[in-house]
Amino acid sequence: DRPIIGPGSLPSELFAARSRSHKIPVRGQKDFFPNDSDEQRQRLEQSLNEHWSLISEERVEKLGNLVKATWIPSEQIVELQSPAGKFWQTMGFSAKGKQFLLPEEALYLMECGNVQVFYRDLPLSIQDGYEKFLSSSTVSLQQYQVFGHLKRLGYVVHRFHPSSEPSSYARQLNLPQCRDRAGRQLKRKRSASEEEEKRPESHLTMSPETSSTQTATASSAHKGGGRTWWMTDVLRDRPDQRPASRTSRWDFSSIPFPDLGSQKCLSSCLASPDPSLLPGSLAVGVCDIALWTRKINLREVKMSSKEQKREEDKRRRRWDVNKDREVQQCTNWAEYRKLLARRQGKRKGRPEHLWDREVTPLHDPRQPIPTGELLDKISVIESTHLLEGASRLKGSDDWRICFNVYQPDSVADFKKSNPGKPYSRMCVCSFDGPVPDLRAIKLLSFQSGDIPVVFAVVDHGDISFYTFKDFQLPTDVYP
Amino acid sequence: FFTKAPAKSGILGRNNLKKRLRNSGGTVSNRNLCDSAPLLWRVGDLRSVRAQGLVGALLGALPRTPRQNVRLGRPLLLLPEEERLLTERHVTPPHIRCVVVCVQDGGVELQVQQYQEAQQRSYEEQSVLALEDRKSALLRAMTSSPTDESLQRRLVALESSFSFPRSAMAVQLSTARAGLSYCADARDFLRADWPIRAQDEPRRAARYQVFRDLRGRGFYLTSAGKFGGDFLVYPGDPLRFHAHFIAVCVSLDESLSLLDILAVSRLGSNVKKTVLLCSPGTDGRVAYTSLQWSGMV
Repeated sequence: DRPIIGPGSLPSELFAARSRSHKIPVRGQKDFFPNDSDEQRQRLEQSLNEHWSLISEERVEKLGNLVKATWIPSEQIVELQSPAGKFWQTMGFSAKGKQFLLPEEALYLMECGNVQVFYRDLPLSIQDGYEKFLSSSTVSLQQYQVFGHLKRLGYVVHRFHPSSEPSSYARQLNLPQCRDRAGRQLKRKRSASEEEEKRPESHLTMSPETSSTQTATASSAHKGGGRTWWMTDVLRDRPDQRPASRTSRWDFSSIPFPDLGSQKCLSSCLASPDPSLLPGSLAVGVCDIALWTRKINLREVKMSSKEQKREEDKRRRRWDVNKDREVQQCTNWAEYRKLLARRQGKRKGRPEHLWDREVTPLHDPRQPIPTGELLDKISVIESTHLLEGASRLKGSDDWRICFNVYQPDSVADFKKSNPGKPYSRMCVCSFDGPVPDLRAIKLLSFQSGDIPVVFAVVDHGDISFYTFKDFQLPTDVYP
Repeated sequence: FFTKAPAKSGILGRNNLKKRLRNSGGTVSNRNLCDSAPLLWRVGDLRSVRAQGLVGALLGALPRTPRQNVRLGRPLLLLPEEERLLTERHVTPPHIRCVVVCVQDGGVELQVQQYQEAQQRSYEEQSVLALEDRKSALLRAMTSSPTDESLQRRLVALESSFSFPRSAMAVQLSTARAGLSYCADARDFLRADWPIRAQDEPRRAARYQVFRDLRGRGFYLTSAGKFGGDFLVYPGDPLRFHAHFIAVCVSLDESLSLLDILAVSRLGSNVKKTVLLCSPGTDGRVAYTSLQWSGMV
């Protein structure tokens, strides 16, 4: 199997390459220290020759095995011209009746020799792919290194979009999730002329997301003040149009809902809601709730006969304090309290020097208390967990999750429309940069939900993976 | 299939640049800036860089076995120290960009035409080769069993009925760009941000001095992020030797806490490498301190 060197191989060489071996030679044992022996020199030469032969070998494929595609720089996307192969199960997306690949997916498939990408009718080299497809608006070189590394190991790797991750509240309600890869990709490209990031993530404001996805035919009515309530899907000409992208984010913990049932609701009027919570130009004035409060049943809940009996029994067994002669002798509350204090002291003999001061013992040993609560009482440091306070953190540009990673053994059943929960999420950084601080870790863990966040640290050719796990010190409490 | 089309109008013809540089005595290393990262694509460049004792790091999939991470292929990424050393040794200006040749539309059409013609020629040649291949296979079969008449008939039929489908043609997916790049617009050349190195200038200068000194002594160096150091130091080519040292660059007046020294020593002993604290001095020399974990004697 002759290696093919150089970009312009002869047709005879290409033809011969079809029956090339696909094995790489195994590397032998290394030497410890260089001496000037011939043996070492020979082995080095052999290793180097093998190295150059492997490095200079070019990819040769049968035309029929290659999927043809075109690079579309305006959309930063690769469009397939011939039907996709096996890779379609885990990569790419459909839109406007055509098949597309993300730039990093296309580059990876080029490196595997599965796809040939053309631009202006000429095939792109791998070098062209690296230079054209990798950028700050797509995927950076370091992120692509991690992407490629994981894909070569067999993982399924998709881009992470924080806006498509449900909030903890939405997850609690078990709301269905929107899997709209197509809309997201093409949507982003069209908004390239507008702000890059119009989605406040942790910085959750009251306003619904402004639609950044106007179609090319957007009229002036859509600009400026006229905010649309529902996110219009950018692909208006699609027959299967989705009604609304579920990408609006509401921070329910900070939107106060009026509590009409509470006894404290004295006024018969409700103030008008924040106009930013309302659709369009709807204006709502002050609301008279007198009618509603009348409708609300404010009566006490009637107990069943069994419950009533139970309450009566309890009352009967309780000792009636009014029958106590000493209590009857008290003329006012102050005296009664003094009587109680005396009784307490006498009865149990609580040492005065401990209990009659400003600073009293933390707990009265005569009071029953579970061990766990007691330990909490005497603890000086409160234990916390990783996500505490995380929802209040505002997002930053320094740290963000890039990819969702799904396990290789799920490939056979993998569905792009419903990938399920990822195995982990990747955040790409390098040893040149700072170590993630607690704030960054909290922020990313919160964004990620219950999926562990892995930091892929790129060091030139090497990638190291780190993850931070929450850990609780065990408390020896056995109820 | 890329012929060197003459540059119609352009910023700088790559050929011209090469000529000028060769005349001034330097050798050309074609480094392309992808994400502002120094990447080498041509085998010749990789060889010349290795010949200077610079290892770099391969980032791409290996064409022969693309779905594994043990051995990677082109491009080669250079360390910032390697790039700087090359720049110091050559005449090539440090900020050479991917040479973009502005080719007018006529040029692009010509290239497409040439490409398609080359593909057609390749197809025709491969058809001929395929037919010969089949014939010789049949002939071999015939010599081993000469009485088999069906083989004779097949041989005759072959000439007339043989067809080589286009889909069977072998096609090359080039790694490096061939000849001159034809990107029509300078705008098309995407430049993303290489993550801004948080390292301050004195730190970078210290690293470079240590790198240059060790390289000058014949050692080979690669990056050592996951070993908690700056460089891994090999006594010879990494293809054949294990690294002996983990070099950690520390400035002479920097005070180290004992815990840091313990941590890095512990790391070194776990991976059976000696930790080398390297401090460039003012006279251009570098002071080396090795850490050895030993017990009480």
